[in-house]
Amino acid sequence: MDVEEVDPISGRKTTGHEWNGIKELDTPVPRGVLIFLIVTHLFALLWWVLMPTWPLGTTYTKGVLGTDQWQRVEKDMAHSQAARAPWTTAIETMSFDEIIADENLMAFVRGSGRQLFGDNCAACHGMDARGAANYPDLTDDDWLWGGGPENIAETLRVGINSPHGETRVAQMPAFGRDQMLERAQVRQVALYVRSLSHPETSTADNAEALQAGREVFLANCAACHGEDATGSRDVGAPNLTDDYWVYGGDIQTLVTSIHGGRQGHMPTWDERLSPSEIKTLALYVNDLGVEKP
Amino acid sequence: MAAAGRADPLGVHGLLVLLYSGVLLAVVLSSLFEREPHPERLSRYYDDPIKVGVALTMIWAVFGMFIGVWAAAQLAWPSLNFDTAWASFGRIRPAHTTGVIFGFGGNALIATSFHVVQRTSRARLADQFSPWFVIFGYNLFCLLAVTGYFMGLTQSKEYAEPEWYADLWLVVVWVTYFVLYIRTLARRKEPHIYVANWYYMAFILVVAILHIVNNIALPISLAHAKSYTVWPGVQDAMVQWWYGHNAVAFFLTAGFLAMLYYYLPKRAERPIFSYRLSILSFWGITFFYMWAGSHHLHYTALPHWVQNLGMTFSVMLLVPSWASAGNALLTLNGAWHKVRDDATLRFMFVAAIFYGISTFEGSFLAIRPVNSLSHYTDWTVGHVHAGALGWVAMITFGALYTLVPTLWRRERMYSNVLVEVHFWLALAGTLIYIFAMWNSGVIQGLMWRTYTAQDTLAYSFVDSLVAMYPYYIARTLGGLLFLIGAIVGSYNIWMTARALPLSRSEQDLPVVDDPATAPAE
Amino acid sequence: MRELFHRKLERSALGFVFAIIAAASVGGIVEIAPLFTIDETVEEAPDMRLYTPLELAGRNIYIREGCYACHSQMIRTLRDDVERYGPYSLAVESKYDRPMLWGSKRTGPDLARVGGKYSDFWHVAHLTNPRDVVPQSNMPGYPWLARNALDVDDLGLHLQAQQTLGVPYSDEMVANAARDAMGQASPDSAFADGVSERYGDATQISSFDGVTTQVTEMDALVSYLQILGRLTDAAYRGTVAEEQVPNPNN
Repeated sequence: MDVEEVDPISGRKTTGHEWNGIKELDTPVPRGVLIFLIVTHLFALLWWVLMPTWPLGTTYTKGVLGTDQWQRVEKDMAHSQAARAPWTTAIETMSFDEIIADENLMAFVRGSGRQLFGDNCAACHGMDARGAANYPDLTDDDWLWGGGPENIAETLRVGINSPHGETRVAQMPAFGRDQMLERAQVRQVALYVRSLSHPETSTADNAEALQAGREVFLANCAACHGEDATGSRDVGAPNLTDDYWVYGGDIQTLVTSIHGGRQGHMPTWDERLSPSEIKTLALYVNDLGVEKP
Repeated sequence: MAAAGRADPLGVHGLLVLLYSGVLLAVVLSSLFEREPHPERLSRYYDDPIKVGVALTMIWAVFGMFIGVWAAAQLAWPSLNFDTAWASFGRIRPAHTTGVIFGFGGNALIATSFHVVQRTSRARLADQFSPWFVIFGYNLFCLLAVTGYFMGLTQSKEYAEPEWYADLWLVVVWVTYFVLYIRTLARRKEPHIYVANWYYMAFILVVAILHIVNNIALPISLAHAKSYTVWPGVQDAMVQWWYGHNAVAFFLTAGFLAMLYYYLPKRAERPIFSYRLSILSFWGITFFYMWAGSHHLHYTALPHWVQNLGMTFSVMLLVPSWASAGNALLTLNGAWHKVRDDATLRFMFVAAIFYGISTFEGSFLAIRPVNSLSHYTDWTVGHVHAGALGWVAMITFGALYTLVPTLWRRERMYSNVLVEVHFWLALAGTLIYIFAMWNSGVIQGLMWRTYTAQDTLAYSFVDSLVAMYPYYIARTLGGLLFLIGAIVGSYNIWMTARALPLSRSEQDLPVVDDPATAPAE
Repeated sequence: MRELFHRKLERSALGFVFAIIAAASVGGIVEIAPLFTIDETVEEAPDMRLYTPLELAGRNIYIREGCYACHSQMIRTLRDDVERYGPYSLAVESKYDRPMLWGSKRTGPDLARVGGKYSDFWHVAHLTNPRDVVPQSNMPGYPWLARNALDVDDLGLHLQAQQTLGVPYSDEMVANAARDAMGQASPDSAFADGVSERYGDATQISSFDGVTTQVTEMDALVSYLQILGRLTDAAYRGTVAEEQVPNPNN
């Protein structure tokens, strides 16, 4: 079998072996491959000298540059914080009104705020901040805890029913489940509340039920929502006479809310976001409401 | 297992094993009543297990690729899981990867290795029973793996998801495979071992090492499927990616290079371009690859020094990788007219090209600054599929179209037109897929790190997700084309085995000149 | 000369086998073994706490559903990662993770510090149908989690296996695993006190899915998601990142 022959096409000798018809040429390794090999090894060698690389028992070579990924990212972070500083310091130190008056700062707020909102708030309130079922619309002018950037910033800082020490607390009791009201009463007060924002639902046929509902309301709900049902921002009780609803204003949802209560939850952002980021977000959200015609 | 598992999902697997062994036992028992086979068969190559292996390869290909297309479609249209647990993305994704890597790729490797080792050693497989044990045992492992994922049984180790009992079973199968292979090699009548066998040996050996080290785990009890790995946190990260990267190296590269080294020169009827280059690339790949795994963990909590080792070795690895691709392409010198006319050879030619592209891309993505952009994005997915579709699947189809007519002793494939159709479907599918993923990956990576003029992040995560949808649809289409190609190929192979007349021309016998083993006439 | 030697090697199958094993072993040994011998690989964090049985069960559901296929739990040492997700992850934070879940793909956002970011109520809504709260999402819904009762009986075995592997669970924790899992998800029950006793006051005890009558897989998964990034505050120390150390009482 060991017969060397010359391949007619390449002019190269074979190695003299054959495996089921397959032969090999004895072509030397092309010079390009060797050069390429040397280049990549030189690159590796250089990197080994410069950077941490080789383990040595209980330690490793640190590299002559004396840097590592932790130092580098800390440096990058410091650099980027410094680059942002003119904006963030201004946001942190100036009053809300001053910032709103400054078109440049507001451009910053709209840019940075959009990303901050998207990565932190949009999960509940949506990318467009228009909310969803169970999560309030932030672009309207209906605010449970008061609108305006100061109030919004405070809500962001402490949250609502959050673990923060100063959290805003709002508890809508479970009137039905905890047997404070009977089923008929729940239904009556739901009809009554519905009629506040939809006067057309008040007809001669249900006048009696509405009257009963009004009495239940005054006895049970008015303490928080007020006798006129316009709500209270001190306890986050919504205005029930307008047509803005967090959970829904149809009869079925109203019955559910009154029966089972509501404990809306807004996380605290005190630790996760810096004071300037919280302020930026408050301004961003406030700005969404302003732009709305 | 069935008894011990009882309420645990392990019980279901126990029943599956019983059923599987029952069916196999029935087949074995029924063959006991057949006539005593002629002793002459011992002087022939043992090809029956290979035929079964080829069939299983194509079944797994269609299954795995179908699951892949489905998973891809779910990313674009998430309701396609119909709110069922077993069909949700997180469960079918490992079913796809296992189906194509281990089902399709593994069966192709086992089948072709049985073929190649016999031909290049001029020896019959060393044993009568163990080839069957390897093939059916291996497929039982795949079956346990995939059905396990649907039930939620997974270790979560990427490309090593099956739980401890399946892993143990694979060790048994794999050791049998190794012993069979090495015994057959020991019977060889050629003094030297051919390059393809170097690669098959590296594939079998190193996969065994990787599999055992990565899967050492403590089951919570022998009656439960769940286990906890012995490797904690950061060490587990290193072990997992040492395994993960070298599963690519020794399963998806070494094994398929072995295929390339046999079927490409065979089909082209040309000698290998350079024996010396083969030596350089083989040992380069075997040595360098094992260092490169940590490039999957750039910028993570894995110590920086390991990341740097991984990066530098990944760069050095490019030379032996390209040497292999170059060696394959230069082997085609003098056969370019065949590449033009013969879709089978073209499959292998394109595979070598994609091998070159994806190994370059791999080394490129291993460079830290590049990786900071590409990692966690679809670019990685695109890279994997450039390798998996362009290289692994194409070389397999090329090898199968060369192997199948020989195996069933036919003159040619049932339809050369269908091979041509398959080729263009596969190529179009691959290109659409990887271009979609390149685009989406680069866009995604850039959106995550784009800063505004005031040095604040410009986009939120959801912005980047919204930008992905068109590409997710495009990749589903690419995958679908590739799947259709595989179905066409399966049909063609089926018809070749069933509908073509036997060819009498080929004398495919081990050692006809040796009187001791020559067929008694 | 090399060529001559290689010719010889090619004639010996066993020789070739050993040569392959030798060449292929070096990389793994050099890269993996020192991770156990170099002390600074895993940072010191005396405040590091253990997963409660409920959180561990949740982690196993996270694994079962393949969440790691789309979500990483690894904030890299890159400025955009840190600015988006919080301080970069440290090795010590996954010290008790078997296996680790650093992930390889972000089809969805990183979750390394998602604990406490959103309410339990939001997580339940989001896991049940992500598009109810995030219309752009392509994440699958997991409505069955709230329907499936959590299998708490085996949790003792889980803790025991972890204990054998070196996670410092006490025998008392192993013995009370099932009870603690139920206690953590039922704030009003008699079992709740034992949880804070054994795992610390910072443990979140809550009716995660809003239903206290049974402990579901949803409870377990949400409890796990809420602990992500809150096992230790090591990552917040000595960094210029703007986030504050989380208050354990929050």
